[in-house]
Amino acid sequence: MPVREIIAAICIIIGLLVFLCGTYGVFRLKYVMNKMHAAALGDTMGLFMVVLGLIIMSSNIFVIAKFILIILFFWLTSPIATHMLAKVELLTNKDAEERMKDK
Amino acid sequence: MSENKSFWAKLKSWIDGDEVIINADEYISTRERKDKVIGENMLGEKHAPAEKLRANSTLYRVLSVGITVCFIVVMLGVVMDLPMFGDPGSITNNEVAARYLEKGIEETGAINFVAGMILDYRAFDTFGESNVLFMAVVAVLMLLQRDKKNVSAVEDKEMAEDEVFDGQDSKIILQKGAKVLAPIVILYGIYVVLNGHLSPGGGFSGGSIIGAGLILFSAANGHKKMQTFFTVKTLTKISVACLLTYCGCKSYSFFTGANHVGWEIPKGTPGDLLSSGFILPLNICVGLVVACTMYGFYALFTKGEI
Repeated sequence: MPVREIIAAICIIIGLLVFLCGTYGVFRLKYVMNKMHAAALGDTMGLFMVVLGLIIMSSNIFVIAKFILIILFFWLTSPIATHMLAKVELLTNKDAEERMKDK
Repeated sequence: MSENKSFWAKLKSWIDGDEVIINADEYISTRERKDKVIGENMLGEKHAPAEKLRANSTLYRVLSVGITVCFIVVMLGVVMDLPMFGDPGSITNNEVAARYLEKGIEETGAINFVAGMILDYRAFDTFGESNVLFMAVVAVLMLLQRDKKNVSAVEDKEMAEDEVFDGQDSKIILQKGAKVLAPIVILYGIYVVLNGHLSPGGGFSGGSIIGAGLILFSAANGHKKMQTFFTVKTLTKISVACLLTYCGCKSYSFFTGANHVGWEIPKGTPGDLLSSGFILPLNICVGLVVACTMYGFYALFTKGEI
């Protein structure tokens, strides 16, 4: 039993660290494209690791199904939203490529 | 008969917000003269409205401060009479809460007690909130809708540019995503609305989820496709029908004493989907109004038409 909890705790802590990196990046990076990249880290990897830890902890099959649905929903919506934001930025900002080079 | 007609014409133009002009020809011939008269007054610096306003500015300031002070005194006086926050002896903190918790399920039939609170004990308050949403969307509709009277060359040019942009990029990722997501999002919203009296959620949250689904569909598939089934007329009809239904249900409730005396709507077994009297239809009404409002704001602020 403790082994399971330790594995779950490690997963959740890794996920939280990824979230920390993402949040730090949102404030540290200056350009919107770089900021979006940092924010997307938390939505994909961070969320996956946290929910994986929760899946390991839970025993009910329906709870596990709900967790998997949460992961699927975020992995479907977050890239689409990021992609649309990036597209609008590229369409409206003329010197987008210049900005991307110097952080 | 002619007097009648002129009265209705006056009323109509007054409602439309125009100046009341019955004899247009006469008005046009005398209008320029009037303008000249005003101009002479402004030049003569006598009896000019602006001068009058400026002379009274001190009075206005004193009056505004006075009125504000009066209101503050009245409000503070009311606050003084209110029971202390967290006072264990006050009625709101023991009797009301205890009664809600003890008799709530029995009286309203709702398992989710927040729904029982906002749609049964305090349904009048929720009715006002739904009306506020409807009025907000009507006000935005009046100000922003692009019709015959609200067009300008610059806006037309911008809209044309936007359409060119929309035609150029194919948005295929968004369209594929929306194809999967929009039905699920709307279905989930409907679930939240229908289970408002059984689980956390209800009209406001479920309605905003449905609105988000509609916005996703509109963003992915274009405004034209959305207009095939959702126009201004649909929005007005749905909102007005929902508000009238709400009003009718609650009027019945108030008419029978607001205490469910002579109450003939069956409450059903608490926990069933079809239970708790009026709470389910009221939730549906609120949800539809909120969804229409969300989508109406999105469409009006982006395209200027629903």
